[in-house]
Amino acid sequence: MALEVETRTADNGITVVAPTGRLDVAGAPALKEAISEVVKNGPPRIVIDMEGVSFVDSTGLGSVISALKQVRGSQGELRLAAPNQQARVVLELTTLDRVFPYYATVEEALTGF
Amino acid sequence: MRAGHHEFEFRASFSELEEGLDILHQSIDRLRRATGRRADDRPLLLFETALGEIGSNVLTHGRPAGTATPIDYALRLDEGTVVASLSDSGSPAHEHLSREMPGHDSEAGRGLAMARSLLDELGYERDGDVNRWRLVKRL
Repeated sequence: MALEVETRTADNGITVVAPTGRLDVAGAPALKEAISEVVKNGPPRIVIDMEGVSFVDSTGLGSVISALKQVRGSQGELRLAAPNQQARVVLELTTLDRVFPYYATVEEALTGF
Repeated sequence: MRAGHHEFEFRASFSELEEGLDILHQSIDRLRRATGRRADDRPLLLFETALGEIGSNVLTHGRPAGTATPIDYALRLDEGTVVASLSDSGSPAHEHLSREMPGHDSEAGRGLAMARSLLDELGYERDGDVNRWRLVKRL
């Protein structure tokens, strides 16, 4: 199943990027492309809504790290919201949860951004 | 135990990346249903994560250009231990096996380190021109 990525703007102007499907070696390029599009339009403030992501592998995780670098390089900020249990396992196993704290819901991630 | 009899068995061959990944995840779904486990069953979720890593490596590196040999896959459950076998015709992988988890900035190179951490055993052997992978976890 190919990864589908929807991008929308929340009420407070934050861009919400919402992938659906498996964020794996096959799906990672679609997320990278979506983030690159947002970064083109000025200092990005992005929430990646992970609610629709059923599975994350190390390449998918690499695409999130790539997104974080791109966004920080553009003086922006990136937050990760609503990862499922499997995604949290991957974040914790790689200790990336220490550098990349995540929020339980998109609403929480959008608050105080 | 009788030879050839397993509590659960799934076999497939595949050649394409997305097709192969779909089949790997479908096989875990079947095992989950066959054993009455919940979607958030942690041992099986950890095993599926490791399988995704080895499976994507095999599908990405195990099909050299000009090679038509498909990847063979088997998943079995016996006495509470799940074993996945994957064979591919890529280059030998010995030098990658002991790779450590890279730093936080790295965008790649975590797969084998993750799989080793998630499994009870990650077996690898070079058999002629074939790589044979064996993933073992007690559920």
